Amino acid sequence: MKGLTSQRRRLGAGSSRVVWLLLLAALAFAIVGCGGGSKSSGKLQSGMGVDGAGGKKGGTITVLSQADVDYIDPGLAYYSFSYEVVYPVDRPLYSYKAGSTEVVPDMAESAPEVSADGKTFTVHMRKGVRFAPPVNREVTSADVKYAIERGFSASVPSSYAGVYFGGLEGVPSKSPATPQPISGIQTPDKYTIVFKLTAPSGVFQGALALPLTAPVPEEYARKFDNKKLSDYGFYQVASGPYMIRNDKAGKINGVGYTPGRKIELIRNPNWVAKTDYRPAYADKIVFAEGFTDVSVMTKKILAGTGDVNGDSPPPPTELKRITSDKKLNKLLFFTPTSGGRYIPLNTQKPPFDNLHVRKAVAYVLDREAMRKTRGGPIDGDIATHFIDPSFTKKGFEDAGGFSYDPFPSTNHAGDVAKAKAEMKLAGYKDGMYSGPKVTMVADNTPPGSNTAKVIANNLAKIGMSTSIVSVTHPTMYTVYCNVPKKEPAICPNVGWLADFQEPQTLLDATFNGKSIATVNNSNWPLLNDPKINKAMADAAPILDAKKRYAAWGNIDKMITETAAAVPWIWEKFPGLFSPRVIPAIQTWNSGSPDVAFMSVK
Amino acid sequence: MESRNTELVNNAPRPTGPGSVISRLFRSPWALSRGLANSSMFRYVVRRVLWGVAMLVIVSMLTFIIFYLLPSADPAQLRAGKGATPARIAEINHSLGLDKPFYEQYGIYMKKLVLHFDLGYSYHNEVSVKTEIFSRLPVTFSVAIGAFVLWILLGIPVGVISAIKRRSLLDRFTMGASLAAISAPVYWLGLIALFLFSSDIGLIPLFGGSGSYVSFSQDPGGWVNSLILPWFVLAAAFAAFYARMVRGNLIEVMSEDYIRTARAKGLSERRVIFRHGLRAALTPVVTMAGLDLGALFGGAVLTETVFNIPGVGRFAYQSIIDSDLPSIQGTVLFGAFFIISANLIVDILYAFLDPRVRY
Amino acid sequence: MTSLLEIRDLHVHFRTRDGVVRAVEGARLSVERGRTLGIVGESGSGKSVTALTVMGLTRFPNATITGSIDFDGTDLVTLPDNQMRSVRGQRIAMIFQDPLSSLHPLYKVGWQIVEAIQAHEDVSKGDARARAIEALHEVGIPSPEKRIDSYPHELSGGMRQRVMIAMALVLKPDVLIADEPTTALDVTVQAQILDLIRRLKDEYQTAIVMITHDLGVIAEIADEVAVMYAGRVMERTSRETLFTKPELPYTWGLMRSIPRLDAPRPGRLDSISGMPPSLINLPTGCPFHPRCPYVMDVCLKTEPELLESERDHLVACHLQPADRRRIGRELQTQYRS
Repeated sequence: MKGLTSQRRRLGAGSSRVVWLLLLAALAFAIVGCGGGSKSSGKLQSGMGVDGAGGKKGGTITVLSQADVDYIDPGLAYYSFSYEVVYPVDRPLYSYKAGSTEVVPDMAESAPEVSADGKTFTVHMRKGVRFAPPVNREVTSADVKYAIERGFSASVPSSYAGVYFGGLEGVPSKSPATPQPISGIQTPDKYTIVFKLTAPSGVFQGALALPLTAPVPEEYARKFDNKKLSDYGFYQVASGPYMIRNDKAGKINGVGYTPGRKIELIRNPNWVAKTDYRPAYADKIVFAEGFTDVSVMTKKILAGTGDVNGDSPPPPTELKRITSDKKLNKLLFFTPTSGGRYIPLNTQKPPFDNLHVRKAVAYVLDREAMRKTRGGPIDGDIATHFIDPSFTKKGFEDAGGFSYDPFPSTNHAGDVAKAKAEMKLAGYKDGMYSGPKVTMVADNTPPGSNTAKVIANNLAKIGMSTSIVSVTHPTMYTVYCNVPKKEPAICPNVGWLADFQEPQTLLDATFNGKSIATVNNSNWPLLNDPKINKAMADAAPILDAKKRYAAWGNIDKMITETAAAVPWIWEKFPGLFSPRVIPAIQTWNSGSPDVAFMSVK
Repeated sequence: MESRNTELVNNAPRPTGPGSVISRLFRSPWALSRGLANSSMFRYVVRRVLWGVAMLVIVSMLTFIIFYLLPSADPAQLRAGKGATPARIAEINHSLGLDKPFYEQYGIYMKKLVLHFDLGYSYHNEVSVKTEIFSRLPVTFSVAIGAFVLWILLGIPVGVISAIKRRSLLDRFTMGASLAAISAPVYWLGLIALFLFSSDIGLIPLFGGSGSYVSFSQDPGGWVNSLILPWFVLAAAFAAFYARMVRGNLIEVMSEDYIRTARAKGLSERRVIFRHGLRAALTPVVTMAGLDLGALFGGAVLTETVFNIPGVGRFAYQSIIDSDLPSIQGTVLFGAFFIISANLIVDILYAFLDPRVRY
Repeated sequence: MTSLLEIRDLHVHFRTRDGVVRAVEGARLSVERGRTLGIVGESGSGKSVTALTVMGLTRFPNATITGSIDFDGTDLVTLPDNQMRSVRGQRIAMIFQDPLSSLHPLYKVGWQIVEAIQAHEDVSKGDARARAIEALHEVGIPSPEKRIDSYPHELSGGMRQRVMIAMALVLKPDVLIADEPTTALDVTVQAQILDLIRRLKDEYQTAIVMITHDLGVIAEIADEVAVMYAGRVMERTSRETLFTKPELPYTWGLMRSIPRLDAPRPGRLDSISGMPPSLINLPTGCPFHPRCPYVMDVCLKTEPELLESERDHLVACHLQPADRRRIGRELQTQYRS
């Protein structure tokens, strides 16, 4: 407001303005309601097993979100909110049912046949699955082959194709400009696809549940994929029970997809229910985006004008209020997110190149106070290592479960005495740090900024003074913490989510010395421990699940003991459903709603 | 004070204001073109337009420079996602044209803009920036123009009445209320409005809530319903400000000598206040209103955000979050364009409103 | 001859936060058709307030107006507002000091004159416009049919004042009050404007009230003169008498402060010592006593009444008439040498 702001300063006596502001603030509290004494929340419902059973067909479901998907192209989507759209619309080779973390065959009709040497995976595909209009024909193995190949081109720059499918034979060393065939993916017939790897891989089977394996018809997609940057996403064709509404030419932009505003799913007329395990109750699903204010979003869901929160949790005050209300409590579910938050310490420069200094930090941090900055116990469990509770029977127990904590303290509030003892072992007299200030690059908005402050206070107890550089969250990542050259000593606001329920996806990119990259690095502690690197290299090809989980569980312990990073929370994502729907949750996707299983009562 | 005796000589200054241009319009085209070329107004407009273009170029350059100098997130990394290798990121950098030095990038951008009116493609999701902005402009216009009409209809009469009934209880009440409206932050006011009056989450369900915007062509009734709360919220501070301004201006004007003359002519007090007083008091208000409206066309970010209205302001906010330079550049340029145009239009308008103004 | 306009014992007080401002205290004035009354005095003497009160333009909520203003048989002090409005501009007109600020800057002069006509008479725009052109021609503006569409700022100072006069006289009022009409103009233009006023007065037999602080203007145009001080009329007589036989110490001071062409150049201009009094805290007795060189004890206690000193010569002073005449003659001779 150009003219307004320059005039405002002249108006009104300063003190009467202050009085008005205070009056207005008081009015605000009165109206919004300071939410009566919220002592403790009620019992927190778990998102496990919430599968939408008992639903009936019909109706429209509305998902409310703050922002848009990362990519509308299913081959590029790599974000939990995007998966809420992709998985009901596209059918990868393998997928998941709501309420569960088990991988089930989707486009595939059964589990893959693995050769004895573990290098060949053969998948038999279902018959009779058809693409949505305007393609309409039956899905074949060539479509899955092309879908994976396109992820290696510069035109379709998939982030994870190289990570999980880079072991295929014939994968290009440099990205071709447009999708090129990969010899390691073979299609002996219309319904069979064979993957040949250069080395056995324990995670390859899990990776087949990623959206990159959802079929893409080449004869239709080529014209889009042959551009410098493909715009197939705006013309995509579905294979699942739902499709993004499009026009006759297949365009969704301006029809079913308005970027930043809404995504509209309608039924795929060519979907054959008996080829699919998804119930697909609702006739229409609308993702309404742009609700920046989460308290407004929460109220809308409770009032029924929205049915569930897609990408943002309700604010802690609302969570406490809802969980203390017997009726409202039934609408809220907490699902463990697959991953956690931790505090990486830069192991490649002083003072954190010293093991004992790192251990001192692991002892002195008050994890309870840190959790409070994110809402307290309602936000999740205090983390003591890296494989989180969502990996029950998939490595969580092997990593020590809830009881393993090499740096224990009462109520996880930190132990200053033990911290000082470690500092003495590091050579600091009387256990207090005496060296230059330690830099942190933190978020400039809450809650991240508050977490950083708590850490700074804790470090002061061992004499470590910190200087905090405050920037936006994306800047913190892309300019500082992801770039080893510019990385500070501590990055207090990072976290990691697993790509699928395999412990390797939690630990490899983040703690393997070989994963360190010059830019977009995710190994924030810059940990390069030869023993750990070797253990990971040994664990990666294990095909037997139990043995694999045990191996990675052990690696988790090794990492935790290096104190290269201090884990502090295994978060739960709160999903709030309106009273008009039967809830269903993508438990495998950090508690996001599963619209293919939800229904209107 | 007069220092030349020009009483008896018929060479008083000939008016060359806008009226003279218009009167020439009704003569021959030849006279018109000669008249235009000679008209100082025409030359003034041309000069201002050229300055405006230069201004836009400078604005675009500054945006570019700020984006590169200040630590904002790396768009290639944001686009690439967490697993991408440095090689992949280099590829994305290349396809977005980010590996070129920034003055070269600027040159390419300006060339596309000037020759093809191509504002580039979003780093975030490849949508054409021009398409995105143009699809959102009508929405922002709806919000801005509606609020504008409301604040004019509210603010000016309140200001006039307060000036006439100066120091009365009514005057004190309206000035107090206006101070409250100016102090209230727009975002807060928006939330209060939603929590009180929105049809889904409000205490008294009356009007469309957050996210209920539909375009006029789709549903005229729904369009109005979704905009009532945003209009009031956005108009509140402006109406209050304009009420105070009109009141102050009118009080000042009413103490001018020509008001005394008007009364001495025996005119009714109503005519004196409205035809003489208000006419003079409103000229600065008109120009201010034009400028405020022009600035709002660049997007009322806070209002659009709290009510989830898909306008240009919302888009600008989201682009900044996403470090999406082409979109930021596009919204900044449009905003600058509207402000510059509003300035020019308002200055020309002023010449019509106040004949003493000469260009 | 009965006066057209007669002001008797007019008091105009304004209640303000700082106290009561006694702007006019018992003024006594009159003017006849075809004659010019000059009112002379310093700023704050009450001359403008008197004029505005005649026009009914001092009827504020904080004003107390007592006394009578008899205009052709009607008392203007008690006349209701709506009737006063029809008198104002039509039967009694007023022009002001600064024609640039007194004309509306955003309307053409023709429009403003037409408005004056249409406020009081039911005529068409075309007719009113024709009359306006005629009025402009009468006041000596060349090419009036072109000038009628000029804006005030496009005219010179003298022309603007002519426009004001045209606007005031277009409805042929009985009385024209001119409040310092030439103060903002330079001397040659001043002479022309005064000529114009005199000519129009003679032609239409309008009564003129000329308010000024400039004795030169009085000498030029007034028939009768009233000297006002601190809201009171202190001396009232013909122009001739005022300049030849003034009997008021204040008037003597005024005369003395005018530089004369026929006297040697003085080293310093003479002025009346002291400052005009505050209208809120007026001095007791004669308001001029703090500055009067001839002050006596009685001057501090009692207000002098405006009494006839000789025929058609009223003076308000405690000095005996004989003394006043003697001192007056002495001062005259002083200045002649």
